[in-house]
Amino acid sequence: MTDAIVKLTDVGKTFWRGTEAIKVLDGLTLDVADGAFHALMGPSGSGKSTLLNLIAGLDKSTAGTVQVAGQNLSQMNDGSLADFRARNIGFIFQSYNLMPVLTAAENVELPLLLTKLSSAERKKRAITALRVVGLEDRTGHFPRQLSGGQEQRVAIARAIVNDPKILVADEPTGDLDRKSADDILNLLVRLNTEFKKTIVMVTHDPEAAERATTTLHLNKGALIEQRTKGAA
Amino acid sequence: MVPISYNLRSLTHRKATTFATAFGITLVVFVFAASAMLTDGIKTTLGKSGSEDIAIVIRDGSDAELSSSLDQPNVGIILSSADVKRRADGQPDGVGEIVAVLALDKIGTEGVSNVQVRGVASASYAFRPTIHIVQGRQARDGAEEAVVGRAIAGRFRGLALGQSFEIKKNRHITVVGIMEDRGSSFESEVWTDIETVRSAFGREALVSSVRARLRSASAYPAFERALKSNRQLGVEVMRETDYYARQSEGTGTLISVMGNMIAFFFSLGAMIGAMITMYAAVSNRSREIGTLRALGFSKMSILFAFLLEALMLSLLGGIVGVLASLAMNGTGFSMMNLASWSEITFTFHWTPQIAMSSLIFAAVMGLFGGLFPAIRAARVNVLQALRS
Amino acid sequence: MNLVSLAARNVLRNKFRTTLTVLGVAVALLAFILLRTVLSAWNAAADYAAKDRIATRHKVTFIMTVPKRYVDTIRQVPGVSAVSYFNWFGAKYERMPNEFFGSMACDPRTMFDVYDDVRISEAEKQAFIADRQGAIVGDVLARKMNWHAGDTVTLKGTIFPGNWTFHIVGVYTAASRAVDRSTFFFQWDYLNESLPPGRRDQVGWIMSRVDNATQAAAVSQRIDRIFDIQDVQTLSMSERALNVSFLAGFSAILQALNVISVVILLILLLVLGNTIAMGVRERTNEYGVLRALGFMPKHVRLFIYGEAITLGAIAGTLGAGIGFAFVNFAFGPWLEENMGAMFPYFRVPAEVLIAAFVFAVLLGILAAIIPATRAARLTVTDALRRID
Repeated sequence: MTDAIVKLTDVGKTFWRGTEAIKVLDGLTLDVADGAFHALMGPSGSGKSTLLNLIAGLDKSTAGTVQVAGQNLSQMNDGSLADFRARNIGFIFQSYNLMPVLTAAENVELPLLLTKLSSAERKKRAITALRVVGLEDRTGHFPRQLSGGQEQRVAIARAIVNDPKILVADEPTGDLDRKSADDILNLLVRLNTEFKKTIVMVTHDPEAAERATTTLHLNKGALIEQRTKGAA
Repeated sequence: MVPISYNLRSLTHRKATTFATAFGITLVVFVFAASAMLTDGIKTTLGKSGSEDIAIVIRDGSDAELSSSLDQPNVGIILSSADVKRRADGQPDGVGEIVAVLALDKIGTEGVSNVQVRGVASASYAFRPTIHIVQGRQARDGAEEAVVGRAIAGRFRGLALGQSFEIKKNRHITVVGIMEDRGSSFESEVWTDIETVRSAFGREALVSSVRARLRSASAYPAFERALKSNRQLGVEVMRETDYYARQSEGTGTLISVMGNMIAFFFSLGAMIGAMITMYAAVSNRSREIGTLRALGFSKMSILFAFLLEALMLSLLGGIVGVLASLAMNGTGFSMMNLASWSEITFTFHWTPQIAMSSLIFAAVMGLFGGLFPAIRAARVNVLQALRS
Repeated sequence: MNLVSLAARNVLRNKFRTTLTVLGVAVALLAFILLRTVLSAWNAAADYAAKDRIATRHKVTFIMTVPKRYVDTIRQVPGVSAVSYFNWFGAKYERMPNEFFGSMACDPRTMFDVYDDVRISEAEKQAFIADRQGAIVGDVLARKMNWHAGDTVTLKGTIFPGNWTFHIVGVYTAASRAVDRSTFFFQWDYLNESLPPGRRDQVGWIMSRVDNATQAAAVSQRIDRIFDIQDVQTLSMSERALNVSFLAGFSAILQALNVISVVILLILLLVLGNTIAMGVRERTNEYGVLRALGFMPKHVRLFIYGEAITLGAIAGTLGAGIGFAFVNFAFGPWLEENMGAMFPYFRVPAEVLIAAFVFAVLLGILAAIIPATRAARLTVTDALRRID
């Protein structure tokens, strides 16, 4: 593990419900190597989504350190976290979360509004990203005119458009049928192998987890199993 | 039937939206009730000035006392009618008075405003038993003294107890008393000696009007017929109540037209506001509606439930609006009366009828605003709603 | 594409609600525009009144007259360039007794020197001077009563009793908004000759024109000082001051309308705030997505303000457009025709339209403050969790 892009050391996360403390993560340590494809599995409430949020810089840990892409997220304020996300993280959600009022190309272009790129350059990059996911013929369509699988591919194009180092996916196939799910997983594998994106994916689906290089099992806020393909 | 508590909880669940919508309706109902109260106030202020059994006689062709003039000798002729009641001393119960308008500085403004002045004799006080001197005393006959109505006392320069005003250059009249008359228009008048007014305004040997108390209210037609048939007199005869109803017409119409127009536009706005809220309630709760339907509630009961919710929302606003308008009851509203060109103070007059019609108005707004959203709620597709 | 255009597109997302909101706001703006136009039309009489015209009347009351010889005295006062005189007549047209209109006796030889903003052809003017029973009427009144030059009309006097026959010799129009186009003017000499000798040679008021408007107050004082030592004292003021003091009689109504127009803005705020808050609540998840993509709270705020401004601007444009069309092409002409004495000119002033639009936008922003602050303050994870 020479170059870990994600490095979690002794991370804890406690939520407060009134006066009752709920420990979601407790003393978790984890390294994700650059270029890895990790699947996070575990029952509801195991803390896998919380772990994903911490890696993505959406949430802050209450104990330990979270280092991602060489930056210590535990010490950053909200503004720098937003900036960090814009530069380093690509998001893929279970329910796609596309803006219904924007076309496919415009949805992909959205994160680029935070950059200083010209309008023409932004459009060019959006089209490129759509080409990567195989939807260059759907640029002018609105989300409601697309199938679920297509919507998710637009969301993936949006995630990669600013060329982040890490893709974070929360149940990316949860709302899809088997065929579309396989297409999305093939795409993720391709992004991992061909474009060298580090991917961390939360999933319930064992078949989806199969496609990852490493599968992590979480239970009650602790890592109980780590299995890497070919290493066993 | 969906239990009412379901609607109540739904309303309290979205406090901000409920508050905004209900408050909008409150404002509308308040404006509606206030303008009705003022219109009513104008009618009662002028209505109280008249009685059924009193006839007022003015010159034929004139609209009001102000533009009328009759020769003094005619007063005796008019009052000699057998239909006129006699006082204890055997004299006919009637008065001839002269009305003029005086421009005085209105306190708190830069301009002058007109005040109605009535030239009277002490008989005028006795003639109207409802008038009471609440401060000071009655003016003496023939003296340069005046009694001022409560509504204008202190609101014009020189019209407070003990002060004096100029009726003509170097002719000062001292205010010796303040009178009250159940809020009638006499409370907006200055009463001084009839001879003083005559000489100050160059109306020697004239009166503006003659009032006569009749033997009974039913004696009026005979009295009117007798006077009108006397061509030489050239007079117009009216019941005092009719006369004041006519005096209130112009101003009352102005206020009620304005008030109704404003209330109309306001209610459109409030109805649309209620509609927006109810549509949002329906679309946010389509799942709930689906569940209710799945549990066996009929379309009609869903429709009814949402209408009821809109009704409760608007009545909530309406009740607050009516309560707020209640606080206006008795407040004075001073304006120029279009019939006399002088200022009269009207008071907002609250009645249970106004409260009722305001609440009905609120309910109608709620029902209209809620009808279409409720229809949409009733049409919710059970399966789709549950799947969403 | 940019954030603002994205915000604008969101406004159109819930087309139905946006339509309702825009309608509600437009209706409220229409009411606002109507009220402000009433206020401005009411004030127009004062705003557009000539400052270089002085009215001189009896000091104490408008119901009394001043001697006609005062006209010649005033003509000698330095600074006065033209003088004319009038008497209020007060008349009813027997065939249409409920139509109120102003009627005055005037001196046709001098009247147009003082009222240079009354437009009439030279031929009609000469005909008016030549015919002792001649009369001219404003074009609005002529249309309402269906009178034409050449007609003979009989009016019944309310102050000067009897039937009076006039020949209508001309119809005048106005070159300024201060002139009432519903007045009936006839020869003063005709009135004077018909009066009993004791009441002759009296005028209701004297209008004079001064060389220099800035001298109006000084000339007024000069005039009043001359008559102060005479039997009848006078009160002189510029036409503008006269109208201001007349308006003072309605100050309570004007104030009420002012308050109500502010209440309208409050209702606007509620309607807009409600819609914006509902939209924001429904889109919380999207704001979470934006934040996850790296957008800052300030972007979310900008986004919500963008929506509010778009909504306000659409509603403002529509409301101002409807208000303009309704008042200037429908309501205004109707009002001028039927209540010309009160509203000689009833059109929406440009500044009222601009104010209506600006208020819609500003209130949109104001209404967005709370939803925008709340949405921006949400943590990303909380915002994302709200999925439905």
